[in-house]
Amino acid sequence: MRLTYSPEVEAFRAEFSAWLDANLPDEAATAVRPRSSADIPEWSRSFQRRMFDDGWLVPGYPPQFGGRNADLYEQAVFWEELGRRRITQSFNPQGLGIVSASIITFGTDEQKHRWAVPIMRAERTAALGMSEPGAGSDLAGLSTRAVLHGDRFIVNGQKVWTSGAHHADVLLAFVRTDPDVPKHKGISALIIETDSPGLVRRPFRDITRPEPDFNEVFFDDVEVPLENLVGELDDGWRVCTGSLAHEREMLWILWSQGLDRMLDDMLEQLNGGAGAAGDPVVLDGLGSSIMDSWALRLLGQRQLARSRRGLHVADQSLLKLLGSEAQQKLSLLMLEALGPAGLDRTVPPDAQSPYESDRAALSWADRYFFTFAGTISGGTSEIHRNIIAERVLGQPRG
Amino acid sequence: MEFEFTEDQLELQRTVRDVLDAEAPPELARAVADSESDGRELWDTLVGLEWPAMALPESAGGLGYGWVELAIVLEELGRHAAPGPFVATVTQFAPLVLETAGPEDTAALLADVAAGRTTGTVAVDEGAGTWDPAGVQSTARRDGDRLVLSGTKHYVVDGATADEIAVAIRLDGEVRAVLVPGSSVQTDEVVPIDPGVRHSTVTLDGVRVPADRLLGIGDATGAVRRALEESVTAIAAVTLGACQRIFDIINAHAKERIQFGVPIGSFQAVKHKLADMYRDIERARVLVYYAALTLAEDHPDRTLAASMAKAAAGEAQRRCVQDGLQLAGGIGYTWEHDLHLFLRRAKVGELHFGSASHHRRNVARLSLQSGTA
Repeated sequence: MRLTYSPEVEAFRAEFSAWLDANLPDEAATAVRPRSSADIPEWSRSFQRRMFDDGWLVPGYPPQFGGRNADLYEQAVFWEELGRRRITQSFNPQGLGIVSASIITFGTDEQKHRWAVPIMRAERTAALGMSEPGAGSDLAGLSTRAVLHGDRFIVNGQKVWTSGAHHADVLLAFVRTDPDVPKHKGISALIIETDSPGLVRRPFRDITRPEPDFNEVFFDDVEVPLENLVGELDDGWRVCTGSLAHEREMLWILWSQGLDRMLDDMLEQLNGGAGAAGDPVVLDGLGSSIMDSWALRLLGQRQLARSRRGLHVADQSLLKLLGSEAQQKLSLLMLEALGPAGLDRTVPPDAQSPYESDRAALSWADRYFFTFAGTISGGTSEIHRNIIAERVLGQPRG
Repeated sequence: MEFEFTEDQLELQRTVRDVLDAEAPPELARAVADSESDGRELWDTLVGLEWPAMALPESAGGLGYGWVELAIVLEELGRHAAPGPFVATVTQFAPLVLETAGPEDTAALLADVAAGRTTGTVAVDEGAGTWDPAGVQSTARRDGDRLVLSGTKHYVVDGATADEIAVAIRLDGEVRAVLVPGSSVQTDEVVPIDPGVRHSTVTLDGVRVPADRLLGIGDATGAVRRALEESVTAIAAVTLGACQRIFDIINAHAKERIQFGVPIGSFQAVKHKLADMYRDIERARVLVYYAALTLAEDHPDRTLAASMAKAAAGEAQRRCVQDGLQLAGGIGYTWEHDLHLFLRRAKVGELHFGSASHHRRNVARLSLQSGTA
């Protein structure tokens, strides 16, 4: 055990840091803001493209896919630098982190160059079609149907919670291609252009903001070419569960940075006289949140160390559970510490960096509500507790 | 950073576990709980294996292992609810001597500790329950070449049995550490909730010791605090081990106990409690070993890290004792079942050397002062 990174890893950090100094767009250029999680303003598209071209977008990837074959510790300091400077890797996070990653992992060479690279270079944006009205926690129970006729699928059904779909150029959608086998075995992954005839998107608002991000997506005899099938026919569940394989050891960093972002604001605001900083109950809760933040970082670092040794990494559910619930705990604490000052929904204009998502700094009430996106999406906290009990602790399935 | 044990540390963990499985089985903790043993034979065994010397510096007759290695031993002692003077001697007495005494005193005193000839403890708290040396009111005054002590110390671990007590005392307004032979003070033992960890009230009034029993020079408030960072981290490691054992017992129980025709672990109400216990234990584990690492490297975060470790271990024990005893059902409520041996050790860890809440507030204040977490 040791406390510091090796000089080589620190040199990697310094190189990235210098690159950011030289390439980060002027603040004045950032006035146009993203309208959804699949809407990238032109200034940000060009910055993301530069990151890709210079091998800094996904450092763990090889150079042809926007990386430099960085190892896990180098990737960790890459994220630390982005977090420290409050830079969001991409304003189309699911397009980059899940859709293009799935195509890179499971797609053909042609698919990689036709879809993954343009998504990574921010020439196109993508959304993820997973959940359905009848398939949330029971994702494998999805029923959107795709029937193969010759060289094309005919798709009928509905997706929901499809973030950014109304601004996305393509969807990665999981569909049922064989209804007569156990539910995990009849699913396939398709790339679907959002301007396909018969595809209708209906954006709807969530409880934290005026601009909609979620969509219902309806498929009415939508034709999808066979060449848009990602992975094997009926092998979509593997794509679904493996789509994050590249970055599995890294996912905790986003939870950790989201928590630290809140914690920094909380410390600054309490020190600035907001809230009841001297209240022993507030101090007690703040101490626990600070411990959550450290524990998350240390558990994540332990996972990196284990992964580098080739050991099985089993704590993703633990990290997701801890990270999402820690954000909820902290934002509720700060909201209650503010008391009546928490009634004001105004966000100070300088509360966030121009390079990060507009969701990074919300009022504390909105922050608290927004944390439920963390404890519900990506597997609810209840589902992750089941996963921990069954897969880590060896308890029988219920 | 490389936040995982090295191969050598993993090997040490296996060795320590094997020794304690053989030498400190539940039967030993039970015999202590039944007042049929004082655990002395375990101490003799550990001395024979040079465990007290392990983490002491080589200049003091020790083996010079680091604090991470010591934490591995402490976690296993907790996992076995092991009795005996190891914790107070090695993680309370020795650090206070190291932090306050001059090199000659240190070498002489700790050589005896390393060899297992001397057991020790510290007397700091005076009833506040925070172990804050700034709160020390007990006094020493000079009388020729002797010191005359006055005051009362509370919750002194092994106070009735330790050979030497390092007492935090106020002399001429300064906090100092003075060595007092255990035989020279009046002690009143608290009836223990865990007979494997015994506390005493130590009355200093009228106790006279030679002036050369005073350790070091100048005010020792900071030195005592540094020593207590080690003591607090050690208690956290022991508590973590007790929690792990409670969890192991309950996780196995949930797989084996059949009700309504199925193992109770197939019920979500049970699964979710187990997942939460696991989460709190792993959270405490990384914070305990982070604290150990900061001590090993004398890193500036050690003050914060010690409080985080103690508070996280406290939170873990709260959940593990509560949900562990509940999930064990009626069988865990019996004296015959081993569970209570570990529940006791876990609860003791919370109640001395500052509560979880005390340490959480300390963490918050330190972070507000530095402006960063």
